[in-house]
Amino acid sequence: MTAYVVQRMLLMLVTLFAIITLTFFLMHAVPGGPFTSEKILQPEIQAALNAKYHLDDPLWLQYLTYLKGVLSFDLGPSFKYAGMSVNQIIAEGLPVTMKTGALALICVVALGVPLGIVAALNRNRWPDTLVMVIATIGVAVPSYVIATVALYVFALRLGWVPTFGLDDWRGYFLPVFALSGFWISFIARLARSSLLETLQQDYMMTARAKGLRRGTVLFKHGLRNSLIPVVTVLGPVVANLLTGSFVIEQIFALPGIGRHFVLSITNRDYTAIMGITIFYAAVLMVMIFIVDMLYLVLDPRIKYRADAK
Amino acid sequence: MTDTHIAPEMWAPATRDGAAAEYIAAPSLTFWQDVRKRLWANKPAMLGLGFIILLVLAAIFGPLLSRHTYFEQNLKLSNIPPLFQTYEVTDGAGATTRFFFNSGNLNLYEVTPSGEVAGLLRATKKDLIKKQQQFKFGDREVVLDTARQQLSFADGAALAPSGWQWNMSHWLGTDQLGRDVLARQLYGARISLTVAFVATLVNFFIGVFYGGLAGYLGGKADTIMMRVVEVISTIPLTLYVILIMVVFNSGFLSVVLAIGSVYWVDMARIVRGQILTLKQQDYVAAARTMGASTPRILVRHLLPNSVGPILVTLTMLIPSAIFIESFMSFIGLGVTPPEASWGTLTSEAVETLRAYPYQLFFPAAAISLTMFAFNFLGDGLRDALDPRLRT
Repeated sequence: MTAYVVQRMLLMLVTLFAIITLTFFLMHAVPGGPFTSEKILQPEIQAALNAKYHLDDPLWLQYLTYLKGVLSFDLGPSFKYAGMSVNQIIAEGLPVTMKTGALALICVVALGVPLGIVAALNRNRWPDTLVMVIATIGVAVPSYVIATVALYVFALRLGWVPTFGLDDWRGYFLPVFALSGFWISFIARLARSSLLETLQQDYMMTARAKGLRRGTVLFKHGLRNSLIPVVTVLGPVVANLLTGSFVIEQIFALPGIGRHFVLSITNRDYTAIMGITIFYAAVLMVMIFIVDMLYLVLDPRIKYRADAK
Repeated sequence: MTDTHIAPEMWAPATRDGAAAEYIAAPSLTFWQDVRKRLWANKPAMLGLGFIILLVLAAIFGPLLSRHTYFEQNLKLSNIPPLFQTYEVTDGAGATTRFFFNSGNLNLYEVTPSGEVAGLLRATKKDLIKKQQQFKFGDREVVLDTARQQLSFADGAALAPSGWQWNMSHWLGTDQLGRDVLARQLYGARISLTVAFVATLVNFFIGVFYGGLAGYLGGKADTIMMRVVEVISTIPLTLYVILIMVVFNSGFLSVVLAIGSVYWVDMARIVRGQILTLKQQDYVAAARTMGASTPRILVRHLLPNSVGPILVTLTMLIPSAIFIESFMSFIGLGVTPPEASWGTLTSEAVETLRAYPYQLFFPAAAISLTMFAFNFLGDGLRDALDPRLRT
């Protein structure tokens, strides 16, 4: 167990290193420097800027400097916002993204799983059909379509919620709904099929045959086993909630990291793109790691060994 | 209870017939015949397949048949809806003018009797304080109250609409630059589908090659190759598509390249798993004894037998490629204007959402229906190919 955790940590470090390297060289492969723009700078200013940001150093030295910076949690200055560091940009956007993301994740689990259970227990009756129809729609319709339609109907037409921003608590409804819509449907479908499969297992019949109450059979024997596939996808769910926030924060004008990321792409703010990518990747890896550990607790059959696989 | 009469011959012992026991009632089917039969019986999957075929045909031939091109602009006829309510005014000389009012941009457009949009009507007088515009039709005058969005004659009598008319010159209306929505929609289908198919194909080749090699070589090579896959799969792929797009600039080719080079990991995993189990089979050993080379065994024996899961993964990859492309285009990293894909069409429609919400309908419906179709087809294929579900 400990050996497995250590091995996973090492793998995470290797991955992070690969990400930093790849991102760094990808961003430096972009033709033109960060200060290339329509406005032609004086050569002296250009040289001074290059010297200030160490852009006149050889590439390998720049790389080492950057690596050293990342290791000490310093992602460098932003090239487009003078005086802003990438750390500041992230610190500014993080609370917003975390709040909407966490709410969306809660919605996914708190709505998706019960919907799947209801559907599985009422197989081929109207609740099942209803849930499956909603879930199929939710999986097929892209999140930005859900977001814009919801924005038009609930904010512009009905005026129940503000059209942008999070100053009002009602402002959270639409972004969270749009962000979690796909995954609620996905989890509902997954929970349904998984529970249906579990319900047919022999141990379920044994449990009922030995006279356990229906609730106990369902929750202790059925649910716990059928939730394992659901837990495994939670890692990717977190990843997608974060990347999904690019569009959602754009549509609802939320000042989160996703919006900063898209802005830095349109502004070609290379250090910001690089820094936010690395930050995202690190967060995601930690999340996936946590989910895997959760998986370990939930399923006692799985004994991780360092040499497993 | 009445007696049931049973004919005496029914009581006679049945004759044992060896040939009858061996008789095969159903025709013998090969695996693929069986798959086809079960897929054919799956209605949602067939509906999905039909939709996809229609879509591909529309994407190929639609732009050729269309009267408009996807880039031709006509700013005088921008944001025309597909369906409008027409008004008719007959002047003293008996000439009738048919027109409609576009509430989004407060303009009047003349309509021909056959329903084509002839052009913009110019106001003869604009009263900005009263928010009124006057239009002259021969000797008659119509006043447009732009604040209340009402049309009336000069004497104050309200003008009643004469009926609904479908836009015959632009069947789905025009966008904010006056480009034909239908033509752009069809062209967008072409781009979106091409991106999806080509990117999926690239993924297919990389994934099959990588996974096949790892599975076939086994041992150390397999471990190392799968470690690499593991590292790649922990990286959020959307981020990498975005980074690649930033490096290569937006455009059709870089979208294909970005999506194609990143999403092969699942395919590699599945192919490897299949090859690992299949290579233990006797027929592989037999082929090797007969002197077949490694590439031949891979291509002729192992891959054809793992085609089922590969096919399912492919059908599932296409909608996600469409989705990612539209996602990229939506945040401004997709194909460059005036080219159109469903993603750019959606994001253009979002810009005008307040005034013309219906413009969002067509691209959003196109993406969603295509997603439905591929999902249904993929589910159907999986069910049809799964031997465990055979009845």
